[in-house]
Amino acid sequence: MSRKKFNKQRRKLLKILGAASVATGAGVMMPKEVLLARAEKKPKGKLSYEVKPGELDEYYGFWSGGHSGEIRIIGVPSMREIHRIPVFNMDVGSGWGITNESKKLLRGKYAGDTHHVHGSYVNGTYDGKWLFVNDKLNNRVARIRIDYMEVDAILDIPNIQGAHGLFPQRYPRTEWLVQNAEFQIPVPNNESNAKAFNEPQKYYGMHTIIDAERMAVVCQIMLDENCDLAATDYKGKYSMCTSYNTEKGVTISEMLAADHDYLIVFNWERIRKALRAGDYKIVNGVKVIDGRKGHDKHGITLRIPVPKNPHGVNISPDGRYAVCSGKVSPTCTVVDLELVDKAYAGKIKPEECIVAQPYIGLGPLHTTFDGRGNAITSVFIDSTNVKWNIQKAIEAEKQGEEAKKKNPHIIDVLDIHYQVGHIMASMAETKEADGKWLVSLNKVSKDRFINVGPLKPENDQLVDISGEKLRLVHDGPAYIEPHDCIIVRRDIIEPKVKHRYDMFEHPLAVTENKVERKGNKVIIRMTANAPVYGLQEVKLKKGDRVTLILTNHDEIIDLSNGCAISNYNINFVVAPFQTKSVTFTADKPGVFWVYCTNFCHALHLEMRMRLIVEP
Amino acid sequence: MKRIAVLIILVALLLSAPGYGSQWKFFEHRYKYKLGDVLEADKFVKKDGYWEGYRGNKLVGYVFLSKDWTKKLVGYSGKHMETLIGLDPNGVITGVKLIFHSEPIVLIGLKDENYLEFLKQYRGKNIKEDLAVGKGISMDAITGATVTAVVQNAIILGSARKVATAAGIARFARAKMEKKKISRKYTPLTWRELVDLKAIRNIVVRSEQLGIKDKGVYLDLYFGVLTPPSIGRNVLGDKLYNDTMKALKKGESAIFVFARGKGSFIGSGFARGGIFDRFHISQNDKTFVFRDIDYRKITRIRAKGAPEIKEGGIFIVRSEDFEQTLPFEFNLILTYRVGSKKEFKSFSSRYKIPERFLE
Repeated sequence: MSRKKFNKQRRKLLKILGAASVATGAGVMMPKEVLLARAEKKPKGKLSYEVKPGELDEYYGFWSGGHSGEIRIIGVPSMREIHRIPVFNMDVGSGWGITNESKKLLRGKYAGDTHHVHGSYVNGTYDGKWLFVNDKLNNRVARIRIDYMEVDAILDIPNIQGAHGLFPQRYPRTEWLVQNAEFQIPVPNNESNAKAFNEPQKYYGMHTIIDAERMAVVCQIMLDENCDLAATDYKGKYSMCTSYNTEKGVTISEMLAADHDYLIVFNWERIRKALRAGDYKIVNGVKVIDGRKGHDKHGITLRIPVPKNPHGVNISPDGRYAVCSGKVSPTCTVVDLELVDKAYAGKIKPEECIVAQPYIGLGPLHTTFDGRGNAITSVFIDSTNVKWNIQKAIEAEKQGEEAKKKNPHIIDVLDIHYQVGHIMASMAETKEADGKWLVSLNKVSKDRFINVGPLKPENDQLVDISGEKLRLVHDGPAYIEPHDCIIVRRDIIEPKVKHRYDMFEHPLAVTENKVERKGNKVIIRMTANAPVYGLQEVKLKKGDRVTLILTNHDEIIDLSNGCAISNYNINFVVAPFQTKSVTFTADKPGVFWVYCTNFCHALHLEMRMRLIVEP
Repeated sequence: MKRIAVLIILVALLLSAPGYGSQWKFFEHRYKYKLGDVLEADKFVKKDGYWEGYRGNKLVGYVFLSKDWTKKLVGYSGKHMETLIGLDPNGVITGVKLIFHSEPIVLIGLKDENYLEFLKQYRGKNIKEDLAVGKGISMDAITGATVTAVVQNAIILGSARKVATAAGIARFARAKMEKKKISRKYTPLTWRELVDLKAIRNIVVRSEQLGIKDKGVYLDLYFGVLTPPSIGRNVLGDKLYNDTMKALKKGESAIFVFARGKGSFIGSGFARGGIFDRFHISQNDKTFVFRDIDYRKITRIRAKGAPEIKEGGIFIVRSEDFEQTLPFEFNLILTYRVGSKKEFKSFSSRYKIPERFLE
């Protein structure tokens, strides 16, 4: 037998073996050699992930930073960390949390837990205007303006805890955002309602609607269930949440009690109707609409039963399906959003919106899409990414149990390292999903990097999804602790991002160097212009309450100046044409050098001035 | 070598913000002058924008201040370098004296004496000759201060040629060419076709030309005017072309420059000062340099059959004085190293938008 012929026969045999192993119901556990043989046969999907010196990434990746409280910008496919945006955290490098401008937004809270970063939309794709991110720890939502890549609003949300899933309206544009509350709590959760503290049956979940432009709460839909992950549809009609604690449990065993939990859909037209009708209570200054079963006067909510403790909900880029990942169930639940219309009209039951419930693997958490009809689901316990075809899953569901057992929908299974949480493909949360790259945000890196001590990085793995098979190409360590990301085409973001501030957008922008004194209140107005500050010395008296306002007058791209006040615990950076201010009490007499911390010039070290604090 | 390192962190000065003059004095230098400093004469007669110099009753030359003729030419500092220039009736420069400058040359280890040394070489040069930095004019005395040298050269020659024309001793005003309108028509063209049509010009620098022991092409550079859709759209693709055109303000134009090879037309020293010191364009007596705010990086050419590039970008000419439909020179002052020694060599290529892309 010739070698060629032998190989052909071998592949045939392996194919049969592979099919057989699937047919035995072992799920997706095909022998490795089978996958390998198939991969050799169809060497598709060979995107280059190398970004050579001087070249630019094709995508902006916006990563949440978990309990670091920040957002990071990662270049995809190079996976280089390009920038960090401090959000809910203090950043002593840039001065976020030190300057008056940032303190005004943070209002004394310097810990945060960011999970989901999403961009603002126009007609189902990103418009490059804003990013939004949740803070699960202090129950806030921040907005980042993309032109400066800087937080411009932080909203405290009352009546909730565990601010988890967040999603912006996708169509026709982002006017609303939804923010889910994962932890049920008494409403209101204060001394006026102390009798509810020990009665978990009087704890409630909340689906909060936020006005994106005003960054204000529009209303909250109060539920018995908790509200975990979030999604919005592509028609501007619905938002959604998964709910894993329909039991109102306060212990793990209680939360796991029921066999079914819910995907809860919210009807926006009916929310507006309830608001117009005034069917809400004001709690902590916010309109709270009762959406509980039996109290939902306007029929806002639709509860679609899904197997025990579901996790993510993601919408296919064609807008047709909501895919709810099973977590405790090894399946995904596919909901046809066109049928949801009928369910709201009362023509069918909520459970009849489900068109498929395919087997995926042990612990499906989140699903993303390649824009070619395929879904890729992160599977936590198996530690895999599973690529499957939505239509094939729907067809098999129609054909019945026997057809389903063969798992005809599964296209490929990729081992990842290790224990994946979120998963995201390029442009996958838009109608322009392009099926090129996927990032598997793995919770555990274990042995994948040099040992840096007991606290180890995450591992964000890059996967080429351009071919039929999933191809793992890169391991990327990440510090505490990205949960989710979006991967946005460069041409959408790049034209929106500025090199310098509009100087007079800041009302205190300094054009003239001077010191003003009123009693013990001193205002220092100063410019920075590498390598000189506009003032060489300022005389103060012990006890003066000092505000220093600094404007960077350098126009040159990337010429930022720092401003550190020795022994006064103050540092911040002003980018070209930016103004920042700090306020402090001159409580220590002596000479204190103010110096530039951000390398600016050949004479950077000479860029300094004195504060002379007289006793 | 030290100079190279320092050059990287060279910085441009504040251009327009008010209230800073006092802190910038350490870069400013003003010198006293008298007209006799650049022309030996016993009598000077004031004319419109220049002085005639006489010895006895014989006209021996002309003296003029650059700010009266080429004030728009500004150096690294964003300020004009005021220069007193003497010229004899044959077009030979009789003397050059620096009156004011604020070029931050101290940052690259240079002193004003080096600057004055650079200027000395102009004495005896005839302005009818084709002179450029790297071509008859040496930068040795102020190595590293490329922008200062290029602009200073343009100031001296530009002012002198204008005065020579005004005084009637030579004609330098080029035959007046009519500005034309750029055709809005779009034809899909490949890279090869664009090069053949001369819509894209090419400068090839071979290692042998530079004395580098290395075979092959050191720098393979392509440039052109972006505005005609048949050039710009083919080169950049529709989206980037439209974005670029939309962003242009009245009177501005855009060129593109791409290169491959070991060498670089961008270099690594533009970053802190924000000025590209390895290339500029000139049109008649005007010189246009580019700053980082005029630049958008491009990593891929969209035209069919285009080569892969190592570096490149869109560069906006901000000045209304540049007329994109008329011929201009692209000047490359290539910095390179032979062993550890830094060298410069100038190259230049003339460009004109092909007629078929004009109305």
